[in-house]
Amino acid sequence: MTSPVEITLDSVSVDFDGRFSLTEIDWRIAPQQHWLIAGPNGAGKSALAAVLAGAGEITAGELSGLPANVGLVSYEAQAALIAEELKKDDADILDVISEGTSVQELIKRDTTDATLAAELVEQFGLTPLLNRAFRKLSTGETRKVMLIRALASEPSLLVLDEPFDGLDVKTHAMLDKHLHQVAATTPIVMVLNRVGERPSFITHVAWVEAGRIAQSAACADAASMDELVQLFHIKHSQVALPDPDPIDRLPVLDASQPLVTLTDVSIKYSDNVVFENLSWQINPAEHWQLTGPNGSGKTCLLSLITGDHPQCYVNNIKVFGYQRGNGESIWEIKRFIGYVSTQLQWEYRVSTALRNVIISGFHDSIGLYAKPSDVQKAIADQWLDVLGMSERANESFTQCSYGDKRLLLIARAMVKHPPLLILDEPCLGLDDMNRELVLALIEKICASGKTTVLYVNHHAEDKVPGIDKHLALGQ
Amino acid sequence: MGTNYFNTLSLREQLEQLGKCRFMHLDEFTDGVDALKGKKMVVIGCGAQGLNQGLNLRDSGLDVSYALRAEAISEKRQSWKNATDNGFTVGTYEDLIPTADVVLNLTPDKQHTAVVNAVMPMMKKGSCLSYSHGFNIVEEGMQVREDITVIMVAPKCPGSEVRAEYVRGFGVPTLIAVHENNDPNGEGLALAKAYAVGTGGHKAGVLMSSFIAEVKSDLMGEQTILCGMLQTGSLLCFDKMIEEGIDAGYAAKLIQFGWETVTEALKYGGVTNMMDRLSNPAKIRAFELAEEMKDIMRPLYHKHQDDIMTGHFSATMMADWANDDKELLGWRADTAETAFEKTDAGDMEISEQEYFDNGILMVAMVKAGVELAFETMTDAGIIADSAYYESLHETPLIANTIARKKLYEMNATISDTAEYGCYLYNHACVPLLQDFMKPLKSDVIGKGLQLNDTSVDNARLIEVNEAIRSHPVEAIGAELRGHMADMKRIV
Repeated sequence: MTSPVEITLDSVSVDFDGRFSLTEIDWRIAPQQHWLIAGPNGAGKSALAAVLAGAGEITAGELSGLPANVGLVSYEAQAALIAEELKKDDADILDVISEGTSVQELIKRDTTDATLAAELVEQFGLTPLLNRAFRKLSTGETRKVMLIRALASEPSLLVLDEPFDGLDVKTHAMLDKHLHQVAATTPIVMVLNRVGERPSFITHVAWVEAGRIAQSAACADAASMDELVQLFHIKHSQVALPDPDPIDRLPVLDASQPLVTLTDVSIKYSDNVVFENLSWQINPAEHWQLTGPNGSGKTCLLSLITGDHPQCYVNNIKVFGYQRGNGESIWEIKRFIGYVSTQLQWEYRVSTALRNVIISGFHDSIGLYAKPSDVQKAIADQWLDVLGMSERANESFTQCSYGDKRLLLIARAMVKHPPLLILDEPCLGLDDMNRELVLALIEKICASGKTTVLYVNHHAEDKVPGIDKHLALGQ
Repeated sequence: MGTNYFNTLSLREQLEQLGKCRFMHLDEFTDGVDALKGKKMVVIGCGAQGLNQGLNLRDSGLDVSYALRAEAISEKRQSWKNATDNGFTVGTYEDLIPTADVVLNLTPDKQHTAVVNAVMPMMKKGSCLSYSHGFNIVEEGMQVREDITVIMVAPKCPGSEVRAEYVRGFGVPTLIAVHENNDPNGEGLALAKAYAVGTGGHKAGVLMSSFIAEVKSDLMGEQTILCGMLQTGSLLCFDKMIEEGIDAGYAAKLIQFGWETVTEALKYGGVTNMMDRLSNPAKIRAFELAEEMKDIMRPLYHKHQDDIMTGHFSATMMADWANDDKELLGWRADTAETAFEKTDAGDMEISEQEYFDNGILMVAMVKAGVELAFETMTDAGIIADSAYYESLHETPLIANTIARKKLYEMNATISDTAEYGCYLYNHACVPLLQDFMKPLKSDVIGKGLQLNDTSVDNARLIEVNEAIRSHPVEAIGAELRGHMADMKRIV
């Protein structure tokens, strides 16, 4: 074991390409301490964690004691790896289709402890996916690969930004157990939006607000912890759902007909089967919850409904009165659907204004390519108000934090009050406050009677009243 | 081998065909995909263009399937996997071609003659054959059966972009054309327009062109500025930096990522914006270097255009095809052995601005190449809109490939036709610029001017700015980027 890690930040200010800054951070991570970084969305939690992994430019103060080998798991690191893989895919000015790096190659390339890596692959259930291209993995599977990279590279410090997000219940428990062992020898700094989920080895909490550490407390100190916990719980009592566009050109659906009928559907590739012989009918005003372990095909199943999955054309699918594969266009389907998922958030890499992101929900587009009406602009502004972003209407989407992006995409999905609202793990990346806001919005939209909700989540406490049907995949 | 079609035309007809190019308005596409609705479209070739165009067309409500060779199906080759994993019907030529209303030939140029000869006898009377490059018709003189309508729809972006933009709800700029010798029912234009709508191209702008204008401008662009100039520039700039004692890793990185960075500025605001990214003294220096290079390289650009026009280029290349690509493969191997190609980029940080400041010569090369290619094309009767797309517009796309894996990646991903032309250009251009390169120092490539005093003479600056801004490629560029921006304005 190397000498114990002791990190000191003395009045440190950090700049992130002029997009964000941390100011006058005083922080000492002593040996045997494990810290949780908490705070509202956009406060700088991830930025502070990233500083420990060498990100940002220190403009003032002194940072000392940072070990060279830091294991990092974060959305930003995940996004960077995905972007790197997507670049490989682009390599086709004329005609090559590239699959990118396989899971096996990636893990071999980026880890040093092969025995531990192999063990974790097994425990995470990634063995059958070793030969799959990294960028073909589901959200949760990608996260697992990121975790293995960090854990099996013999780090002197582990920085885990939302390590549990996107993991199913079983994997969550397994990771928690593994981290308890790691914590005995390696310091861990963790960012969690769900403070209640913090593992018991965490010794200290730092509360970040507006780029500063506003408060910190030792978990053993009950009084200061109570004070911190109070900060999380500000209630959303009077949330009102903005109205839809009154000039609604959507054809009226027959209320006696199901919105979606999937009959014996399968998703199969030449080398594997995701699921088969699945039938599902969604009737108007029947709200559904969809659950299943990572990789059980939840996102795939939803993309059969949205039409984003190419195999929707070889399955027996009827949506909104259209039997798929009979000359309908994908835009005729999408106009009935509001959709949010991690996949969508990866794809929404467009530097447009926040207001336009919400308006793009009227057009089902990524970015906005049509002139919005005054009514649409007004509705978008009401949504920004609900999200507490009124002042930021013209800021650029690409510069938002992960959680803020998620909130905007949820508003985009809801803005037209679609007949079918598909929320694929909507609360990923949201802090406690915003999660309650989103759950309240979902409850309201369920109760409005015009929108049917299809909801995917892993968290038992995120249950929404009114969603009473349940489909479990991969059981 | 057939007769070169272009050479069978009279001068009057040649000029008419070369001069065909018109930017189409969105309201010309109000019929949507109607002309193709219910028709059976069969794609040949399931690479990036074939697969992604097919995905878009199907999502636009059209009936798309893939014809593969029997071996590709029985051996479950990659093309078979691509098509079946995406839920397309796949069949042999014999199964699918006789049922097709439209056959989309999306194979590489080199295979066109064999493919078209194989499918033509099976095609239905009165059906349509579509290309996304006119080489086979124009240079190889392919004679298509009289009852078949022949059209071209050419998205001006890589296949993955064609798909990504469609999914976003937009599209990529697209060129369409009808082969007038093969438009028996006068429905070619309607079919091409519907096809462009089906791929989303109409939202980003469609140019109505001719097979001849497309081929003669596309070949010119790819062998000179797009691939040739970037290859020559990479080799010369790298060797110069080494000679000047600059760290090899730094030199390799400055070039590998420099083209992408400087041409990104080109994409947004043309040559003017790219030059404006330099300090005033550096801009004047780059301008002067570019002027000098333009004078040296002008005859070479003329020769490339002349050889393309007369068919000399394509005849030479097709002779190499017939000789198992001996020249092409040899040149490819030579490129892999160059010092630039064999040096890995260092891991130092280079800021975006530093690529401009330390890459003055690279900026000058891009300016000289873009302007010369554009001037040469328009002098040869090609309309400015076409010339813009085949020079300035595509330069950043090619520069991206160099950023990925240097010249290897560029040459592996462009067509064999472009690659062959690129090497021809490079072999002529490297010696041509030898004397020009000799006196140059690291101030224009590698280190930057490093001036304490950045003052310039007002009159000279005005003169240089005026010359940059008044070049004809800037006028048409501003207009065409304006069309794109109008549609994409809000982004």
